[in-house]
Amino acid sequence: MAKQKYETVIGLETHIQLGTASKAFCGDDARFGGEPNTHISTVSLGHPGTLPVLNRKQIDYALRLSVALGAEVNLTNYFDRKNYFYTDLPKGYQITQDRCPISVGGFVPILLSDGTVKKVRLHHIHMEEDAGKSVHDVFEMHSGVDLNRAGVPLVEVVSEPDLRSAEEVDLFMNALRRLVRWLEISDGNMEQGSMRCDCNVSIRPQGSEELFARCEVKNMNSMRFARRAIEFETQRQIDIVESGGRVRQQTLQFDKNTGSTSPLRDKEDAHDYRYFPDPDLPPVVISAEELARVKAEMPALPWELYERFTTKFGLSAYDATILTEEKTIAFLFLDLTEKHQDYKACANLIINQVRPHLAENETNAVPDFPVQRWAELLDLVKENKVSNSVAKQKLFPAIWEKSDTPVAKLAEKMNLLQDSDADFLADLAEEILAKYPDKVAAYRKGKKGLLGFFMGELMKASKGKANPQEGNAVLREKLGG
Amino acid sequence: MTTDKNLILRLEKLARLQLSDTEREEIGGDLDKILAMVDKLQEIDTENVEPLTYINEEVNVLRADAIKNQTDRAAALRNAPDTDGTYFKVPKVIER
Repeated sequence: MAKQKYETVIGLETHIQLGTASKAFCGDDARFGGEPNTHISTVSLGHPGTLPVLNRKQIDYALRLSVALGAEVNLTNYFDRKNYFYTDLPKGYQITQDRCPISVGGFVPILLSDGTVKKVRLHHIHMEEDAGKSVHDVFEMHSGVDLNRAGVPLVEVVSEPDLRSAEEVDLFMNALRRLVRWLEISDGNMEQGSMRCDCNVSIRPQGSEELFARCEVKNMNSMRFARRAIEFETQRQIDIVESGGRVRQQTLQFDKNTGSTSPLRDKEDAHDYRYFPDPDLPPVVISAEELARVKAEMPALPWELYERFTTKFGLSAYDATILTEEKTIAFLFLDLTEKHQDYKACANLIINQVRPHLAENETNAVPDFPVQRWAELLDLVKENKVSNSVAKQKLFPAIWEKSDTPVAKLAEKMNLLQDSDADFLADLAEEILAKYPDKVAAYRKGKKGLLGFFMGELMKASKGKANPQEGNAVLREKLGG
Repeated sequence: MTTDKNLILRLEKLARLQLSDTEREEIGGDLDKILAMVDKLQEIDTENVEPLTYINEEVNVLRADAIKNQTDRAAALRNAPDTDGTYFKVPKVIER
């Protein structure tokens, strides 16, 4: 109804905490989860006379992300101060990049449910530091301030208003999360605040190109909440417009208990951050060589591999999606396809066996043996030397234990090789038929169901090593029909 | 004083200060002088002159990503106006 008359227009500002060991501008431990106020120093406490010194890795990580997203890198970087007072911001300003972000443009490709790829354009990516954390439920009359997070390095990825629904926001955030893990620059953990976003939401009549007054919903740290907030906010704005009103530009907060948004502040009392260059931090100049190095070291990216897997390797969208969720898995698969060319069999092995095996137990680290062994396993199955179930249940786990033994040898040692030697099978079959003349007669009179019985005997006699198809064929032949 | 009273009130708010009317009068006078000096500087033609943000030419002052120089909590909290030994205690602020 009313909803179809309008289009939702969404832009995202995503904050990503970089996975460095120490903070952006001092040597405090940057990890999540220490006891309150144990990852701090005179710099992060904002004591007078202290000076910030930039962490080399923040530049490196921000560069990696920029290059991966095809953004144009600014070779000269400055830092600015964003001034505001809040109890969890000891210096009274946040160090950020206002004038000259590390990169401009670029895009995040997202795979829509209809199979098409949408390129969500980026406005820019900039580097900054995080603030501390205020807790309101520890003391009755006070708020508590924990400065462990103060000064942790962040990048902020600012998109163009290219997203059109909560689903697309979901896909965008998931694509970014997968990418930062792929690039090994962040754990992308939303629960621990490593990724959170501000959503700018507006509506406009379908087909309009105009941008209308937008509302910013702050600090969404879960995809589920972001989805609900956007749905609520879209409907709220439609209701305003439908009842003849105008949407006012506002900053909102989402209440996860009621599922609704409420104003934090109006545009009129928007913050005046009085940005100015931070004189404590000299410019950072990125050399052409360094940029070239980052480009050269860039691994194949998930969407590039997805494309390759679905087109060149002929895999289904489903298989390709699972294989490109994590870099480790994707590259194990790629290595395997170098050694065994049945891509679908490779995909099945990685998806159905390797992945669960790695996930089962966190200590099941990526194997240090070459994927050569898995290729050998697939070869044995393909040549009908071992059955699928034996490969899966017996050989696959055994490879993990005895990786220095070639799989054919291992199978032989474990007595798992299927017997498809025709003479051997023929002899066995004759023995069995000789043992049950009455059943043979019954079979020949039409009781064809007895074939299963003979098969069972054959498997028993061969101790499970008979190749079922060949055994079946031999029996049929001997039974005459 | 010619400085707009509203400007002073806004600056007070931004700086989290509360001035008396007498102080506002004084600050207004000081601000007038400061702004007059800035106006004077504005007369200089700075077209084609790069802004001098940094007074030395140092670039790329970076450090390795290593944990060091942390302060222990007891020492850090010693200067806190109020603490329970774990947190800095501040007047209750509503979740933003």
